[in-house]
Amino acid sequence: MNATVATSGRDSRQQFELSIGSVPLRLQMTDAQLFGAVSARYAAFTDAAEQPIAIDLNDGATAQGALADFGYEFEGAVLRAFSNQICFDAVRNQYALDSLLRIFLSWKLLGHNGFLLHAATVIRNKKAYIFTGRSGAGKSTVASLAPEGSVLTDEISLLRREDGIWRAYGTPFWGEFRAAGSNTSAPVAGIFRLLQAAENRVESLRPMATLRTILPNVLFFSAEAETNRQLLEILNQAAKEIAGYNLSFRKDRAFWEVLPT
Amino acid sequence: MNTSAPFFWQKNPALAWREIDDETVIISPQDSVMHELNDTGSFLWKNIDGRKSAAELAELLAANYEVTPDAALSDTQALLEEMSSRKLVVNAPETGE
Repeated sequence: MNATVATSGRDSRQQFELSIGSVPLRLQMTDAQLFGAVSARYAAFTDAAEQPIAIDLNDGATAQGALADFGYEFEGAVLRAFSNQICFDAVRNQYALDSLLRIFLSWKLLGHNGFLLHAATVIRNKKAYIFTGRSGAGKSTVASLAPEGSVLTDEISLLRREDGIWRAYGTPFWGEFRAAGSNTSAPVAGIFRLLQAAENRVESLRPMATLRTILPNVLFFSAEAETNRQLLEILNQAAKEIAGYNLSFRKDRAFWEVLPT
Repeated sequence: MNTSAPFFWQKNPALAWREIDDETVIISPQDSVMHELNDTGSFLWKNIDGRKSAAELAELLAANYEVTPDAALSDTQALLEEMSSRKLVVNAPETGE
């Protein structure tokens, strides 16, 4: 579907509609230059779903005096989520917007049994293999070794539990490998913690070890106790229901041979 | 810190926590730090409710694990000191004032 480019009746705001992880969003802005950059950056994630979450960029007309349900400031750009309005202010460029979108989604996904994870995701046999680990562990290498078109993301994976099944979605938040993720999803085959080694080998993890693997790599920005409790519930369920593994990884294609099917 | 003083302990209300496989995972949202408690630590954590002193917690520990009362008190005080230093537990506000 094409991006919706519209001019509202009361001003000259342009709109770009997209969805990330089945969360429909409408970005509204008056800055034509920013609109152009946004349209190009998120082109692969264009969508026109019903009732998208409207996000006002640099609108300046926020709900006066209202307390935000969630707020965050990142390098001068400010996110405020009110019950009836989402505001991104002081967004100077597409990169600042990208950062605020990640932060917003990390919070919004709590209501969708989902979370963002620093991980590369590759589709193989219609299942999503999620590779996580600290910087330099090999996420981009895994992505670079995967067949063309099979990489959902090389940087930020989005996981959601839908109808009792965990699915991994691509995101437009890319790392060093690909220009953009893929806006598709697949059931999760497993989460693999990358460990550089001289040989390729997998070792099954207990749920607690899987949680220990996931937690440091989850993107989450709220310092509020209750939202962190919600997140922990979701992560605990994920650790119980998704098979977790240590993947000793030689950084060659042969690692696929040791992965469970 | 004198953990045998007659004050009560409570969990830091700013934390998120969850029991998993007889262990407890605690997240400190303010600094995004994850803490883990083993079996004994988890037992104490479950019983820290703002109404028990270190001595009372030690009695519960001795009743549920094969340890002498003296060892239970020593272990409990050490664990509470450790949890307190990590800001996992705090002194409960005094009541009746």
